[in-house]
Amino acid sequence: MIRREQEPAWPRVAFACYLGVCACALVWPGYALAGDRIEPFVLGLPFAFAWTIGWVLAAFLGLLVFHGLAGPKDRG
Amino acid sequence: MSDSRIVVGIAAVYLVACLVIGMLPGRRASDSAEGYVAGDRTLGPLVMFFITGATIFSAFAFLGMPGKAYSQGAWAFMVLAYGAFGFIPFYFLGPRAARLGREYGFVTQGQMVAHRFHSLPIPGVMALISAGAFVPYLAIQIKGAGYVLNSMTQGAVSEQVGGAIVYGVVLVYVLKSGVLGVGWTNTFQGIFMMVLAWAMGLYLPYALYGGVGEMFRRIAEERPELLRAPGLGPDGAQGSWGEYTSAVIVTSIGFSAWPHLFMKAFTARSEATIRRTVVLYPIFSIFLVPILLIGFSGVLFEPAPAQADQVLPHMLMSIELSPWIVGLFCAGALAASMSSGDAIVHACSSILVRDGWITALGRKLDTHAERRLIRYLIVVLLGASYGLAFHYEGSLFDLLLYAYGPVVQFMPAVVAALYIRRATGPGVLAGLVVGVSVNILFAVCPDLRPFALHAGLYGFVANVAALALVSAVTRREIDGEERYLAVAAGDDVREPSS
Repeated sequence: MIRREQEPAWPRVAFACYLGVCACALVWPGYALAGDRIEPFVLGLPFAFAWTIGWVLAAFLGLLVFHGLAGPKDRG
Repeated sequence: MSDSRIVVGIAAVYLVACLVIGMLPGRRASDSAEGYVAGDRTLGPLVMFFITGATIFSAFAFLGMPGKAYSQGAWAFMVLAYGAFGFIPFYFLGPRAARLGREYGFVTQGQMVAHRFHSLPIPGVMALISAGAFVPYLAIQIKGAGYVLNSMTQGAVSEQVGGAIVYGVVLVYVLKSGVLGVGWTNTFQGIFMMVLAWAMGLYLPYALYGGVGEMFRRIAEERPELLRAPGLGPDGAQGSWGEYTSAVIVTSIGFSAWPHLFMKAFTARSEATIRRTVVLYPIFSIFLVPILLIGFSGVLFEPAPAQADQVLPHMLMSIELSPWIVGLFCAGALAASMSSGDAIVHACSSILVRDGWITALGRKLDTHAERRLIRYLIVVLLGASYGLAFHYEGSLFDLLLYAYGPVVQFMPAVVAALYIRRATGPGVLAGLVVGVSVNILFAVCPDLRPFALHAGLYGFVANVAALALVSAVTRREIDGEERYLAVAAGDDVREPSS
């Protein structure tokens, strides 16, 4: 006998949308339109470099929040 | 003691330390093939974190990335992007694979897919594709180790002999301890590399330019094209957004499909260990930032290195640095090479034996014979990779991108096995064959591509289309499918007690 437990889908949907935004910012068209500049320098780094690091950190924070919100079934 | 003796002495001490750390766990793992391949499923979070981190912190990271930043500028930023996103699918796939591994005794990705579809050809095809991707990846590590020893001995040890010495050490501890030896050396090497990467990534711009900001200001004045996305192409002209974007997509999807990552899911002590590893994994991406700074610090450095991939050892040996620092950093680069090379060779030989020899060809082996065969294959694979390493003359970075083309073709098969009820064995097999064929066609004949996109992306699209189409026309109920998917999803499948 197989017993299933349903969990709300909204954390997964919200997380997928958030990752989609982060991903678009790191490739064409988001990166080309908004991140492809040398100046201003951010902490000594050219803007295009700082832009990439910023979105990598944003994806990391999103994953941390999702991990905190998701139920055990959403996690696998 | 002369400078070069100090440098070589530090590297020698480091290699001996790796050997000792790598060989100790061999006494604790059980004497079975499962102990050798899956570490008796006992790896905790710390070791899991570093063993998976080693897949990105390879010789490619320590030598290929600085080389790419040096020669193609912002193009190298793509590694940060795929390092951040590439492991996220594993947050969902990894725990499912671990549950199935515990329930059915899987130790390889191919076994997991084959069991769902009761298909013998699938693991055989996956084993062949794995070997096709792993051997070049291993060659990167051996070639990188050769570069380092050659530079640190100022040419006294040739690249070929250097690669042979370093991988002789790897061979000994992988043969002795299997995956547990790989795990503990990766932990030791990972901590060592992170400290060195930050130290050198901040020190070199400071020593050569007066700081990171000043370095980038000078590059912005003299070589601004290197700091604009997406950087330069291999020919030195402005890079293409299509190539850059498709390379990020292929590597991000392919990252979680590497067969050795799945093998690590089967070695994990618990699902929580896998999830925590994925959540913390982007930290490795952030640790790549100083490595990019090292590459950029070489842009205005004179004299220029003979090859872009040698920019790091070239700078280290050309500037007035304490031999102790040079020795430590060269040991760090060796760590990067060894920590990936050991995991790769261990995984590839285990896959060829389990998926190719035992599952696909149906040969019976007792546990000791299997362990022995895996060890023989480790020697064969290292030999083949060594041969390739010193015949290949392109960049380490491009070789890595090439390896992702076949690897990304595994993802539709894995997702189909773990999630999609309507998928069938013939569908998965058709997807794999069509996807790899299209990838090979466009990788070998890039002029045939309709648009300038990564060959692996064309293969991936063809793979998904073939899987969907063939599954639709061959759909039938598969024995045990319901229970398999329920175990993967973490549903309660225990029989009620009467």
